Amino acid sequence: MTDDFHASATATFGGSTSRLSLAIVVGLIGLGAGAVVPTWLASDFVLRLGSEGLLLGLLALSVAFLMNQAGLVALGVASIYGGAGYLFAIGMSDWGLTPTAALCVAFLILLVYATMLGALIVRTKPLAFMMLTLAAGEMISHAVLLEGLRDYTGGADGLVVRTNGAVLGIDAARFADPAQFWSLAWGVSVLIGLALWAIARSRLGAVLRAIRENEERMRFSGFNTFLPRLIGYVLVNIVAAIAGFLHVLNAGFVSPESLGLFVSTNTLVAALIGGISGSLGPILGGLIFSFAQDEFGARGLTQLLTGVAIVVFIVVFPRGVVGGLSGLSKRLGWRREAS
Amino acid sequence: MLTIEKLSVSYGSVRALTDVDLEIRGDGLLHGIIGPNGAGKSTLLDAICGRRRPTSGRVRYCGEDITRHSVSWRRRQGMARSFQRTSIFQDLTVHEQLQLVAQHLGDGRVGDVIEVMDLGGYLDQKAGRIAYGVQRRVDVALALIGRPRLLLMDEPGAGLSATETLRLFEHVRDLVRERRIAAVVVEHDVEAVFACCGMVTVLDLGRHLATGTPEAIRADHRVVAAYLGTAA
Repeated sequence: MTDDFHASATATFGGSTSRLSLAIVVGLIGLGAGAVVPTWLASDFVLRLGSEGLLLGLLALSVAFLMNQAGLVALGVASIYGGAGYLFAIGMSDWGLTPTAALCVAFLILLVYATMLGALIVRTKPLAFMMLTLAAGEMISHAVLLEGLRDYTGGADGLVVRTNGAVLGIDAARFADPAQFWSLAWGVSVLIGLALWAIARSRLGAVLRAIRENEERMRFSGFNTFLPRLIGYVLVNIVAAIAGFLHVLNAGFVSPESLGLFVSTNTLVAALIGGISGSLGPILGGLIFSFAQDEFGARGLTQLLTGVAIVVFIVVFPRGVVGGLSGLSKRLGWRREAS
Repeated sequence: MLTIEKLSVSYGSVRALTDVDLEIRGDGLLHGIIGPNGAGKSTLLDAICGRRRPTSGRVRYCGEDITRHSVSWRRRQGMARSFQRTSIFQDLTVHEQLQLVAQHLGDGRVGDVIEVMDLGGYLDQKAGRIAYGVQRRVDVALALIGRPRLLLMDEPGAGLSATETLRLFEHVRDLVRERRIAAVVVEHDVEAVFACCGMVTVLDLGRHLATGTPEAIRADHRVVAAYLGTAA
């Protein structure tokens, strides 16, 4: 009995080698094809929209990971996303750092901030957690508008970010080119998607889900329930920071809007549209949201049509587009087997 | 193994336990705790395992004062507990949840627990989809992982028939005897307690009323008057 148990345990927690190999192959093909093919077929405008969608998808991925694994909704990711741009710009213009050094310093500051905030809030109940992330995000978005900080933050005008030279060995000019930026954003999205997919299937993911489901039983099973949630929270903030750095390097400016609640709610909507249970859904949700916003904007009815579309999507695909399609394919497969 | 000294617990202005003294031996005997509703039985377990902080008094475990230690610390030191309301991971399979806890506590002999709790036929099923009686066994199995030295069980028979309760008690009694560990069980089913426990404590209105063998407790006129009644 014991041997049987351990054999099956290895199959479950040791990770299925065949599924992992398949995921790696699919990931590599997706990485290559997605990075190159659109740059041949799409215009610069479409690539820009797609890149915005990918960055929103990255943010959605971070929010979805925390929702799915820890049952926590973070409404303040925009403060990290926009904060990354501000710190990067301030590091270069006010502290005289090189682009790479400014990026590293900004990343470290955000890491410390996320860890400290996380240590305060991850113990709270899900609703309180959501409101606290919202409050922290709103505090930061208003702080950049303070008159006393105007010299650093540019107030309501925001900051123009002039990046000269290379960032992490990549020529800054490449970030402004739509085709090259698309390839970069795509590569980063796929890699982060795969990393979060692997983490969700690791012991940390299993522990986070078990804490989400029954925290008391986890404590009574000898687990520290605080640290895994803190790690999860910091992890998603790292993803949001990466999206923020990519955004500022591409756009060349950062404004208070990038820190606002609007970005956080769009992120949540993108995650719900795509589906929160995997890595593909949030990225797809970001792309759908970005292209839909452009289409709705062209008709001058952005908010109205966005609202209608959200209702329709959530009613038709309660588990998101990816969840819905996955369920449909399973049902079709079952019918084929039955016939 | 476990010594309770002058333990008191209050919920606001209500005193749930008052100056309770109790000694639990770790010699393979099942120690039952009985008493009418509101006697403080579950509160006593909560205070022992760290779920609720006592207002005053001490909990000593293997000679050490553990009154201020956390729940997870106590678990890692071998103090395990099951709950009155089944507390398992409904979305995980039986196998996944036992394995998760076993890996954390470094227990390589989970197969023994599965065998003792007769869960072999349910390993691949999600815990939320199995019968309630089996869920109760999973709850106890989660507490048994890591080879605890002290097992605390809060109404393991809740929601089970008298036969199922007796069978569960027999499983646990045999395990406790075989491993020579200490076990405390709070239970309403007095017959199951008298049939399987080597020692019984009676609480009434938050106070310790009596401790003794089942025969002594049955014969104690204070217990008969407060709880058992003439039927006992």
